[in-house]
Amino acid sequence: MSILTSSDRVVGAASVGRTKRLRPSYWPFVVPALIVVIGVIVFPWVFTLWMSAMEWRIGEEQRFVGLQNYARLFTDVRFLEAMLHTLVYTALSVLAPLVLGTAAALAFNTKLPARGLLRGIFVMPMMATPVAIALVWTMMFHPQLGVLNYLLSLVGIGPLQWVYHPSTVILSLVLVETWQWTPLVMLIVLGGLAALPTEPYESAQIDGATAWQRFRYLTLPMIKPFLMVAVIIRSIDALKSFDILYTITQGGPGTASETINLYLYSVAFTYYDIGYGSAIAVVFFVLIIMLSLILLYLRQRSAWNTGDGQ
Amino acid sequence: MSRPLRKLLDKAGMAVCVLLLVSPALLFFIWMLSLSLKFEIDNGAYPPILIPDRFAWKNYTTIFEGNSFLLYFWNSLIVTGAATLFALVVGVPAGYGIARMKAHKSAVVIMIARMTPGLSFLIPLFLLFQWLGLLGTLWPQIIIHLVVTVPIVIWIMIGYFETTPMELEEAAMVDGATRWQIFAKVALPIAKPGIVVAFILSVIFSWNNFVFGIVLASRETRTLPVAVYNMLSFEQVSWGPLAAAALVVTLPVLILTVAAQRQIVAGLTAGAVKGG
Amino acid sequence: MASVSIRNVRKSYGTVEIIKGVSIDIQDGEFVILVGPSGCGKSTLLRMIAGLEEISGGTVAIDDRVVNDVPPKDRDIAMVFQNYALYPHMTIADNMSFALRLKNTAKSEITAKVERAAGILGLGPLLGRFPRQLSGGQRQRVAMGRAIVRDPKVFLFDEPLSNLDAKLRVQMRTEIKEMHQRLKTTTVYVTHDQIEAMTMADKIVVMHDGIIEQIGAPLDLYDNPANMFVAGFIGSPAMNFIPGSIGGDGFTTEGGDRLPLGGRVPAASDGRPAVYGVRPEHFRLADDGMAAEVVVVEPTGSETQMVLRPLGAKAGREDRKRELTWVLRERTGAKPGEVVRIAPDPALAHLFNPDTGLRL
Repeated sequence: MSILTSSDRVVGAASVGRTKRLRPSYWPFVVPALIVVIGVIVFPWVFTLWMSAMEWRIGEEQRFVGLQNYARLFTDVRFLEAMLHTLVYTALSVLAPLVLGTAAALAFNTKLPARGLLRGIFVMPMMATPVAIALVWTMMFHPQLGVLNYLLSLVGIGPLQWVYHPSTVILSLVLVETWQWTPLVMLIVLGGLAALPTEPYESAQIDGATAWQRFRYLTLPMIKPFLMVAVIIRSIDALKSFDILYTITQGGPGTASETINLYLYSVAFTYYDIGYGSAIAVVFFVLIIMLSLILLYLRQRSAWNTGDGQ
Repeated sequence: MSRPLRKLLDKAGMAVCVLLLVSPALLFFIWMLSLSLKFEIDNGAYPPILIPDRFAWKNYTTIFEGNSFLLYFWNSLIVTGAATLFALVVGVPAGYGIARMKAHKSAVVIMIARMTPGLSFLIPLFLLFQWLGLLGTLWPQIIIHLVVTVPIVIWIMIGYFETTPMELEEAAMVDGATRWQIFAKVALPIAKPGIVVAFILSVIFSWNNFVFGIVLASRETRTLPVAVYNMLSFEQVSWGPLAAAALVVTLPVLILTVAAQRQIVAGLTAGAVKGG
Repeated sequence: MASVSIRNVRKSYGTVEIIKGVSIDIQDGEFVILVGPSGCGKSTLLRMIAGLEEISGGTVAIDDRVVNDVPPKDRDIAMVFQNYALYPHMTIADNMSFALRLKNTAKSEITAKVERAAGILGLGPLLGRFPRQLSGGQRQRVAMGRAIVRDPKVFLFDEPLSNLDAKLRVQMRTEIKEMHQRLKTTTVYVTHDQIEAMTMADKIVVMHDGIIEQIGAPLDLYDNPANMFVAGFIGSPAMNFIPGSIGGDGFTTEGGDRLPLGGRVPAASDGRPAVYGVRPEHFRLADDGMAAEVVVVEPTGSETQMVLRPLGAKAGREDRKRELTWVLRERTGAKPGEVVRIAPDPALAHLFNPDTGLRL
């Protein structure tokens, strides 16, 4: 009996060895990156989770408090308000770039002179340093000296208070976010348009479909997976938006434009309440993952063919 | 309507459309340039002046005089350069390994890293750097920028290596190459365009990063975005020099964007990555 | 140069068996072609000889040395891939010398070998160019040159001509055959094209669904197919199969016509159902034989191909496979609608068991 098992093991070992020898193992290529990823990405995740269960202020003793930090979130009016701001800001910052970006993609998908250069200019807002452009927007938003109110006065509107009034601050920030990120939606949709087959269009043209009908019944359904990708990416980025908000308003006036991310920053690095900040980070993270999963699920259902690799 | 006329109208309509599309971007940067070249009086004028009578070139010289701008430029260069190079060194082989092992599930980690807000990396790593006594040097920023650069590089390289034909590497295998020789002499040279894309995007997103700097940088270790932001927090700062500083910070990126727009577009549509 | 011995080789992915126990002996210097429809396992078998696929069971030996566990680089083989697999970032000369450079061969020797191979294939003027600057046929030649330079024990070809246009394919067929006659290197060649197999091989291995249907010299397979699969696969247009039964000293078709067997009736098989196989070029006009109506006449100049429908068979889709093909050397005045009576020389007829497909 024992002889049988040991010989079995030998056979097993031999076949494992064979696999290794014939096909090279690719593990050594991955190990260095794995160490880095564990060090700077996985470790912070785990450590954040641990800290969120602690009462932990910089310079003070730490003590374990379990889920107390999480319980505190439900009664923290500032957090709940930040949540609301985040949702409104995100919804608008997804929708506006989506519509404009799709329109831009349709325009860019035609034969244009100097298409590359135009695309390069169009893409500039999202590649430019956010802090730098936020500074310029701040100047443009200025109620008295800003160029935006001057432009509005030309068509007889205004003057507006832009980011200096609680009722318009979020919309103004959405304007910047839209200006900045419409190009990304455009690029993703453009990628989808480039992958479209031409035969259905030729056939539709023969069938007498108008341009709008071709868009509505051919293009839109076929680029839907790409639109979903754009929605997913845009949602994540809008939720995480920090540089623009922090530079232009720092969550103000008052806390009128404070999102979760800004509140998290204040708690962790202004009040140095590390434990509570970590709890916010965890909740924020779960929120993002959940939203992504829902959107991914929707995307899976909207795929018109399984062959697209996006 | 006659056909040629209609074609002409179509073309004109399209031109107007495109002009409308690029004008928000174009006008913004033109206005930025205008702000940076005007004296305080012109910047405060109403109605606003686009092209002033005299250019305030001194806006550009002042930022380099008073604010250790060159030091911050150098810091940015070191942080971005080191974080990008290191990311390429570990990320390119990793992308190769993952693509060849068909370990697509491991890419989920990269995806989640991409979703995680930068701030949630910042709290634990800040404590870690404090404990290691690294605060006050450039090391914390170089290391934390890996959070941005490594996922970008791995993500783009997985996509790139997946499209390079396996047949070539099999040919090299039959030709007698070891796996390292296959990687170095066949896979890597073919992947050069992908590496360029990864490099450019990694540089841009690391250069632009702001959130890590405001927490981790001290007076001597500021990167450019943080330095520019700090200029704003001085009260009564004049718009001219501020706009000039903003332009100087973002100019390298803008030049890179227009020069390498093809690679950037390819990279962004492949992975749709963004840092931080 | 070497012999290759494949013993009872199996390949499975999970529970799916792709190759179900295959044995082939390849002699030193032989040109062996693995042929079969797509999915029959021929490419997998070739890749196992190359060492690019694991061997699930059985052994592959090159020169009596079992190489199951030997990685490709130590097998001393050269392979020509379907898409050529030329390294796009290397010049033609560098492509051809890559294997030698990996082995740290002396520079002078590399130059000599590359020049010799380039000479054989007429690639001399192209050595400094890159693959993208070459035409399909030239790339194909470089891929072969890369194999020749190695001077390996075995050449492996994986459908090397399938990406070329028809004319070039015929030309490269000749070149590969010439090359083999000159170098006499043991060669294993995979194709799905039976004409390639017939024209080039010393020995053909017909594969189907992971097993070997028959091994033999090209004309041997043509004249004496072991079963209906081989009979139908080798030869173009394909062999006609006529169902019916054996009776008396001949064969009775389902329509009641008599076809001759020339006294080759298997013993005690009266009334037994069988399939009568005739190659299209073996039909002759006959007084008895099978009555059939001419459906289509297709003259190609050198010969005439006719599609015939046996009388009694109705026109329609289901009867398509009952239709017969007849190839004549001489020109004919036959018109569609005409009825002819045809039968083969009994010595050239084949008989198969309709259940097993095996030759009777």
